[in-house]
Amino acid sequence: MANESVLVIGGGVAGVSSALKLAEDGFQVYLVERGPIIGGQAALFCCKATEKCSQCSVCLVPEKILEVAANPQISVVVNSEVVGISGGIGDFKVDLLQKPGFVDPEKCIACGICTELCPSEPQKGIYLPFPETAPRTYIIDKNQCLRFKGAECNVCQDNCPAGAIDFEQKPKELEVSAVIVATGFEVFDAREKGLLGYGRYSNVLTGLDLERIFATGDSVTLPSSGKCPRNIAFIQCVGSRDEYIGNGYCSQVCCKYAMRFAKLLQYQSPEAKVTIFYIDIQTAGKGFGEFYKECKETIRFVRGIPVEVCELSPNELEVKYEDLTKGKIAKESYDLVVLSVGIAPRKDSWDLARVLGINLGDYGFFDTQDTLDSNRTNVNGIFLAGTCQGPRDIPESIAHGIQAASKVIQTLTARAI
Amino acid sequence: MDKDLRLGVFLCDCGGTLSKVTDFSAIKAKLQKLSDVTYVGISHDLCLKRAQQAMQKDIKDKGINRVVVAACSPELHEKDFMNVVQSAGVNRHLLSMANIREQCFWAHPDKDKAAQKAMAQIGMAINRARFLEPVEQTQISVTKEVLIIGGGITGIQAAIELSNLNLKTTLVEKEAALGGKLNRFANLYPVQVSPEEVLATKLKQVAEGQNIYVLTSAELLDVSGEVGNFSARIKRGNGEFVRNFGAIIFATGYTTQFSSQIYGLELSNNIITQSQLEEMLKSSSEVKQIPKSVCFVTDISDEHSRVSPLSALRNALGIKEKFRGEVCVLCQNLKVDGAGLEKLYRDCRNKGVLFIKFDNSPRISKQDGKIKIEVEDVLMSGEQVTLPCDLLVLEETSVPPLDSKVLGSTLYMGLDAQGFYQENNVHLYPTASNREGIFFAGNCHADLDLMQALTDASNVALSAYQLLAQGKIAVEAEKVMVDPNKCRFCLTCIRACPHHAIQEAKVNHEKMVAQIADLACQGCGICAVVCPAKAIKPKDWSDEQILAEFELLGEYV
Amino acid sequence: MKAKGAFLPDIVAFCCAQSAYQSADAAGSMRITYPENIRVIRVPCAGRVDVLHILRAFEKGADGVLVLGCHEEACRHLSGNIRAKNRVQRVNTLLQEVGIDGKRVEMFTLAPNQGPRFARIANEVNERIKELGPSPVKSGA
Repeated sequence: MANESVLVIGGGVAGVSSALKLAEDGFQVYLVERGPIIGGQAALFCCKATEKCSQCSVCLVPEKILEVAANPQISVVVNSEVVGISGGIGDFKVDLLQKPGFVDPEKCIACGICTELCPSEPQKGIYLPFPETAPRTYIIDKNQCLRFKGAECNVCQDNCPAGAIDFEQKPKELEVSAVIVATGFEVFDAREKGLLGYGRYSNVLTGLDLERIFATGDSVTLPSSGKCPRNIAFIQCVGSRDEYIGNGYCSQVCCKYAMRFAKLLQYQSPEAKVTIFYIDIQTAGKGFGEFYKECKETIRFVRGIPVEVCELSPNELEVKYEDLTKGKIAKESYDLVVLSVGIAPRKDSWDLARVLGINLGDYGFFDTQDTLDSNRTNVNGIFLAGTCQGPRDIPESIAHGIQAASKVIQTLTARAI
Repeated sequence: MDKDLRLGVFLCDCGGTLSKVTDFSAIKAKLQKLSDVTYVGISHDLCLKRAQQAMQKDIKDKGINRVVVAACSPELHEKDFMNVVQSAGVNRHLLSMANIREQCFWAHPDKDKAAQKAMAQIGMAINRARFLEPVEQTQISVTKEVLIIGGGITGIQAAIELSNLNLKTTLVEKEAALGGKLNRFANLYPVQVSPEEVLATKLKQVAEGQNIYVLTSAELLDVSGEVGNFSARIKRGNGEFVRNFGAIIFATGYTTQFSSQIYGLELSNNIITQSQLEEMLKSSSEVKQIPKSVCFVTDISDEHSRVSPLSALRNALGIKEKFRGEVCVLCQNLKVDGAGLEKLYRDCRNKGVLFIKFDNSPRISKQDGKIKIEVEDVLMSGEQVTLPCDLLVLEETSVPPLDSKVLGSTLYMGLDAQGFYQENNVHLYPTASNREGIFFAGNCHADLDLMQALTDASNVALSAYQLLAQGKIAVEAEKVMVDPNKCRFCLTCIRACPHHAIQEAKVNHEKMVAQIADLACQGCGICAVVCPAKAIKPKDWSDEQILAEFELLGEYV
Repeated sequence: MKAKGAFLPDIVAFCCAQSAYQSADAAGSMRITYPENIRVIRVPCAGRVDVLHILRAFEKGADGVLVLGCHEEACRHLSGNIRAKNRVQRVNTLLQEVGIDGKRVEMFTLAPNQGPRFARIANEVNERIKELGPSPVKSGA
């Protein structure tokens, strides 16, 4: 559809998938991302293969990002938020607020000179978050950059060969025919489950921590000692299936990632013992039943979610749970405890819902209008894609993003007739 | 090798950063000494339009006919450079790249060694450039019509969406009526609409869709041709006919099978399958004997499916809504990893459905025609519980319908271990088969619930639409070529091709040879390796090009 | 590599464009170092690598050959990586028959986002080939 534009809010895997499909159909797409780069949560995840691909689909993300960056019909607008909307389908006017990122992604050639010369120690004030970023741009880390600590420093700006570093804020207005909301999710903050010790004990990590460690370093060591973990416990359903805190749903990804990580940890250290504490193991998906069977051979599965994790010593954690075989409280020692945190709705969904006039539904995810249509909202012309509508894994987020793009095309086609 | 080679080498120093670690003018000087290098240019930012326009001009002005770019990874800008080459009047495949950034200077801090390596990499790219071959682009006309096999909710939804996208569809269903499982399910929980309502709505949309041609009591017999121009032979009643389609979508769903071996029990009037229960619920006005207690036993076999445990939950709730009496669900792991499932589980519990979890399979026996279930309840420390029940409902396995398996094999579509359609690559192309232009959606390839099947239908409709909407598909002609003189028609390549892109053809009216279908070929080159006569040449990755790359091992230009 | 002093093996690494080549890029982007004497040759699929290619690499002076492709069950061309694995095993046998240590050729699998893994493989193989010494083909044996 020549000359028509669509706004996609959110540059995660669902938003990127929608954008690519819309661009293929001839639309001009504005992919607006609140952060400095696109890729979303999954861009920072790791490959979970041992000898065999474990079909976690994380490797799809860098490829899609490269495709977006190379596509002339997709304008990636970063550091921006939607702050207002008016009009209706075919004719939305959207107000974007662009926050200063200081590095112009259209000028940055990612040569790396800025990071080399940056005087900030021990961590640089300007860096490339991960290799396949799009836009391919270095970003300023306000926590490290000396300017933000009060110093007068212009080293990066003075030395940038592309003149990409500058300080400027421009408001922008877009005119689009339709909008896809693909703002993604938040990882459940494990500190809300205070008794499990995250944030207090160094050897209690979350699934997200493991993703980051494997993605950058290749092996997991105990934060307290730097040694290889020998005895690891996974605690499932942290932030999921929990009516008590308002998350009465299954996040759908945690059993899978826990088992994949367990396998990866055992591949890394074959003598490591792994125990998974669970409510019900979720195994849907092709070949996952087989994988679960394999896991049962080397991993101990214990039914029941532990109530508390304590630190006996800097290198020893104690997990307290109800041993269902005996009907008694049991305490077991582990050196590493991993909390399988779930998918939670973003807290800022409230703001976006208000701005766009769309409804929030169950548990704080965005609501859909019809029971059989998981993309359409109560506003004609605004659609949902990905985890902002409900928990799903990477392949399903991609499929949902494509479905949203299809609904946009179908709706605008019908209007044209 | 073309004797009249005029190589143009374009070096990029990435904003001047690479020039700081090595002497680009020295590299340029060395390269200029080569007899077939016509021009060497140094740029700071070949990724930007300005520099690319200058490159295009240089190619034209200097009469360059082979382009070598030494810069960042080809993964980033290879397509852009191919466009530049093409716009300069040179075939876009006559480009070779050397990755001197990510795979050289960025990875090797020792400047001298990195510079040596860069020189070697440029040498390799130049060597490869000497053997590059042009590949022409053509357009093939395609039939703007899609064939959908299977008239269940997935097939129906795909047809509706394709119709919305203004593409003609033919929907073929082997039963006398559309609907598939919608005609059999008693409810669609957790989706709060009845199957009758869904079917009615969808059938209305089908009837209103201008472009949907429905054929019931019909079957697909065979397909020949390739993507864009499939020729399908369809049987209907006593007759057969042939029709052309640009793409084919399989939405043939699944069927259920009960294995008495798993349970060690035979079906009877009080031991039934979930399908039988569903039939009962659907026609509840005719229920002869209202059961006082119903037990569902799931999760006994190692089959891990989504559909089966969901049926137990759905129908447990369904029974509670229709009858008074005890309902109990026995399972190892309650499956809730789908939209609305945790809520459905809680609804069941709130309505009084009992859930018992076990680690060891329950022992089910029949005494005087009465069913007795003994199970160790793990949530009660393994305490043995004896459950009486009037009606025992057992799980079935989802299996592909026999004819869809047969059809799949006939069409060389990959099948997985259970006989369901095998995705081309489970996460990259979840709705594409290994054959270009043949897609599948719904439960015929994966274990999906209703909303996921609808997403699948949407994806597949969009794929088919984007394939055919222009009425023609751009194709690279003979990017992998079979030399008919060398081909011995041993059929090895035909069997080896993972995409079924190689077919039989006759040349000169007599010799049978293998012929690669350009539209279906994915350029992997597997055929070239297995051919015993070395009759196959992938033009972008020929043996000559690959071997030329390590001619210079240990030496430099 | 011609360098004074310690032996630096010439290693040819066939890298599949769908996975290994991208992970080599990722390693560079993350500035993770690996030996310069690894020569990467990009191929569309690990299944494109012929026994002929591997043997010719040794003929031309390679001390070691690596074939890097997608993890099992992740191949875009279904079985390209399996074919590559079988061919590498066949080359192992062939090399042993002519008196060359089969450990000089090896296959590994990885995903496109495994930069650190690419570097680790490159470093480990480099050490291994160093210990085996220059290829007998090179020295004209």
